[in-house]
Parts: sequence; C-alpha cells; structure tokens
Amino acid sequence: MSDESVVKLRRKAKGKRPTYFSDPDVDRLLSMLMALTGELSVTRDRLDTLERVAAAKGLFSGDDIEAYQLDQAALEARAKRHETLFGEVTRVITSALEDLEEAPSDDYQAVVSLVENDDKVAPL
Amino acid sequence: MAASFVEQQPHDALPKTNHDELARQHFVRSFKEYLVSSVHPGLKLAYEKRAKVEFVAEHQREPENISEVGKVMRKDPHYQAWSSLLRTSQEMMWSSAQIPVQRSLANLAESAQHHTNGHGSLSLDPSLVIPAYHRAVDIHCQPGGYHTEYIPSDVAQGAIYDRAVYIYAMGQMGRDNADMGDSTVAWLKQEHPDFEPTKILDMGCAVGHSTLPYAESFPNAEVHAIDVAAPMLRHAHARACAKGLPVHFAQQNAEATNYADNSFDLVVSHILLHETSSKAIKNIIKECHRLLKPGGLMLHVETPPYEGMAPFETFLFDWDSENNNEPFWRKSHTLDLNELARQGGFTEHAPLQLMVPSAFQETQRTLTFQGGDFGGGGVWFVYGCQK
Repeated sequence: MSDESVVKLRRKAKGKRPTYFSDPDVDRLLSMLMALTGELSVTRDRLDTLERVAAAKGLFSGDDIEAYQLDQAALEARAKRHETLFGEVTRVITSALEDLEEAPSDDYQAVVSLVENDDKVAPL
Repeated sequence: MAASFVEQQPHDALPKTNHDELARQHFVRSFKEYLVSSVHPGLKLAYEKRAKVEFVAEHQREPENISEVGKVMRKDPHYQAWSSLLRTSQEMMWSSAQIPVQRSLANLAESAQHHTNGHGSLSLDPSLVIPAYHRAVDIHCQPGGYHTEYIPSDVAQGAIYDRAVYIYAMGQMGRDNADMGDSTVAWLKQEHPDFEPTKILDMGCAVGHSTLPYAESFPNAEVHAIDVAAPMLRHAHARACAKGLPVHFAQQNAEATNYADNSFDLVVSHILLHETSSKAIKNIIKECHRLLKPGGLMLHVETPPYEGMAPFETFLFDWDSENNNEPFWRKSHTLDLNELARQGGFTEHAPLQLMVPSAFQETQRTLTFQGGDFGGGGVWFVYGCQK
C-alpha cells in the first residue's frame, strides 16, 4: 500500500532517453536486469550483515554456515524449491510449448472475430 | 580508482539511510567502478580491432573527428552495451539517492530550517526565473533538475544531489565531495601564498560542496555562494551550518547578480560553465569582471577542453553531451577561452588555462578524462583570469 503522506518524486529525467541497441527493448531489459542485480546485491549484503551481527553476538559465524551439512530432507526441499524457481523464471519459454501439444491457436484475431460475431450465426 | 573505500562524511542535513538503502547506493557505486575498470577499457580494443577497421576499409584513412568515430562506434556491440549500462548506472544512482530522501522529506525540510545557528545566511528570491538551459532538460539526468520543489521549504533536490555527487565520483572527490574546491585552494596557496581574499563568491554552488573549502581556508574572508535553485541552497545552508562554516547563500543567476561592482577579490565556479549556454557563458564572464576588484582573480574549475585530444578519446569524453543530458558539454569544451575572457572585459592580464592536481591524496593520477569516471583523472582544468 502506498503511503499518501509521502511525496512522490519525479522518477524520469526530462529529456529523451537514448537507446543503443538495434532493438530498444534490449536497453530496457538490460536496465531491468541491472536493477535486479542491484536488489540481489542488497540481499547479499543483508545476509552478510546478518552473519556479522550473529558472530558479534556470539550466536554463529560464517564458518558455521560453511560447515553446515545438509541432510537428505534439506537437500530434497531445496531441489524442489529450485525447480519451482526455474519454472517461474522460464515460464514464458516453457509454457509456450503447451500450445504445440494442444490445439495451436495462433490467430488471436480469429478468436476475437468469433466471440464478437457469434450472435450473427444463424441458429441451427 | 581510489586506493581504499572512501565513504562520504555523514552530516546532519543528509537523510538517515537504512541498511538496504545504503546497500543499494553502494551497489551503484560498485557498478560504476566496474564499468570504469572493466568495461570501459574494452572500448579501445573494440575501436582498434573492429570499428576503426571498418572505417578504414571504407575510406582508406582513419577517422579524423568525433563524428567519424561515432559513425562506426555507435554500431559496435561493446560500445552499445557500455553506453546502455552507463546510462542505466546514472539512472540507478539518482534512484538510489532519491529513495531515502522521499521517505524522510518532511523531516529533512523541517530540520533544514533549524540549521541556522548563526552561521552565514540564506537569501531566497522566489521571483527569480530559472534559466531555459536548466528547464529544457534535467541536467545529468537528475529527475526534476536542480530546481524542482515538491513541498514548501523543499530540500529534496539538494539532499539527493549531495549523496549522488559522492556516488557519481565514487569517493574520488574525498569524504566531503570537496576536491574541486580543495584543489583550487591548494593551488592558490602554493602559487599565490600572499593572496588573502577578504570577499569570495562561488557561482553555481549547488549544495556548497566546493564552496566550503574556501570558508575553511580563508577564515577571515566573507564567503558568498549563489545558485538559481532554491532546494540546493536550502540544503547547502543546512549543510554548511551542520559543518559549522559561515557562508552567505543567495538565490541568484550568475549572469546578472545584485552585488556591487568591484566587490570581490576572488570569484570561482566549479563545473558551472558547461551547464549553461553560449549566451549565458559570455554573460557570466562579463559579470565576473564587473564583480572583481582590480587585481582580483576569476577561477572556473572544469574538465579540460577537447583541443589536443585524439578523436577516439574525444568521442568517449563527449559521451555526456548526448547521453547524460549535458546539452552544452560539447560546445563548452570547444570554445576559444582566451577570446571569451577578452570579450568579457579581461584585457588587463593573459587568461590562465592550467591543470591543477587533485588535493585528495588517495586519488590516482591517471590524467585521463573519460565518461563515467568523474574526478578519476586526479587533475582539474582551471580557467581564469586576473582583473
């Protein structure tokens, strides 16, 4: 939920945004990729802080994390989570195959035409 | 690249960043460092082995100017990727600096008003017209430019700029972003040890990061600083007060100020000239001449003119012109500065054009100037003249 008491600053600098690749979408994707990398870095830094605070408080250290042995249940739970993650990230590629397995419906406009005009079909 | 990780000196006018906000800013700083150290060097290789080869095959000679270099480089995949990443890093820099400011803006504006404990002064002029060269595009891509105000007594653009300058320079301008002022003061002390200015003016001061070295080093001088943008000046005043230095900030256009003729011993600016226009730069030099006492000194700190640079290096150094909303960058780097001084009335002495070493000890002196590595050369170009 957005807090309405917070001022909304302008996010776009006035002036045309230049692009560099033959397809400007590549520039946009690269920008999103770097933002994602940034957020990953923020998370890694937070984990680093967590380890350092824990070590400073005498709870556990980075060495404890390195020495930790995954048991069978943990290994399986992680593999399952990786699979879900890959499924989510590659969804746009893998789900497209379903169309090949089932009835392909490439012509979306044909469907639009169908639902828009089905009242004009003479009753049987 | 700085030898060690130099973090900005905290002060009361900056927003408090939480863990993740700080981590996000440090990521952008590292991203920019990586572009400078690991991606930028590949441009030379791409040019020599690919782009230039293509040009030579077609024209039977090497490219002779930035337009010819650009024609082939703009098609080069490494240049495309570097440019796209550099532009993105610039946008991420502003965004990472905006986040904590947006979160705490009301408090920042409120506390800025209380930082007025007898140090210097702040004089704003709401009727001042923001010049077209600042309104047309947001210079160096800061959303909202220098002047946009969101709330009464706003400091947002100043607080954002203060932090962004540190990220932009990757700490290469020292803990207080003061290197341009520090270096100029160090040069003055060395070359003019008897110069004791009693009145100093800094034009286009932004948040006063270059102004404070003058107040620090010339404690007997009255230091004035002007800018067209109120949010910069409010933050600058709060920042100077937080650091305990007396500066008189005023909202004025450097092209035509309201100070008396012959009233300053020293008039300075720091990366102001390239953010103006052909007309404005002439007005500013004229105004400097009017404001200086006879024998007084005008000094403008900038990056060096293109003259004498090889076409490929010039092309890269020119990147900001079209890719970072610096519309006057190219023209300002190709002006006849001696003629500019003469037109402005400086006929008493020959103009100065010199390279001044960075005062910041941890800066490596690469002596090169390249897009995305501000302050990385370890030297500043100083243009000026004595009246």
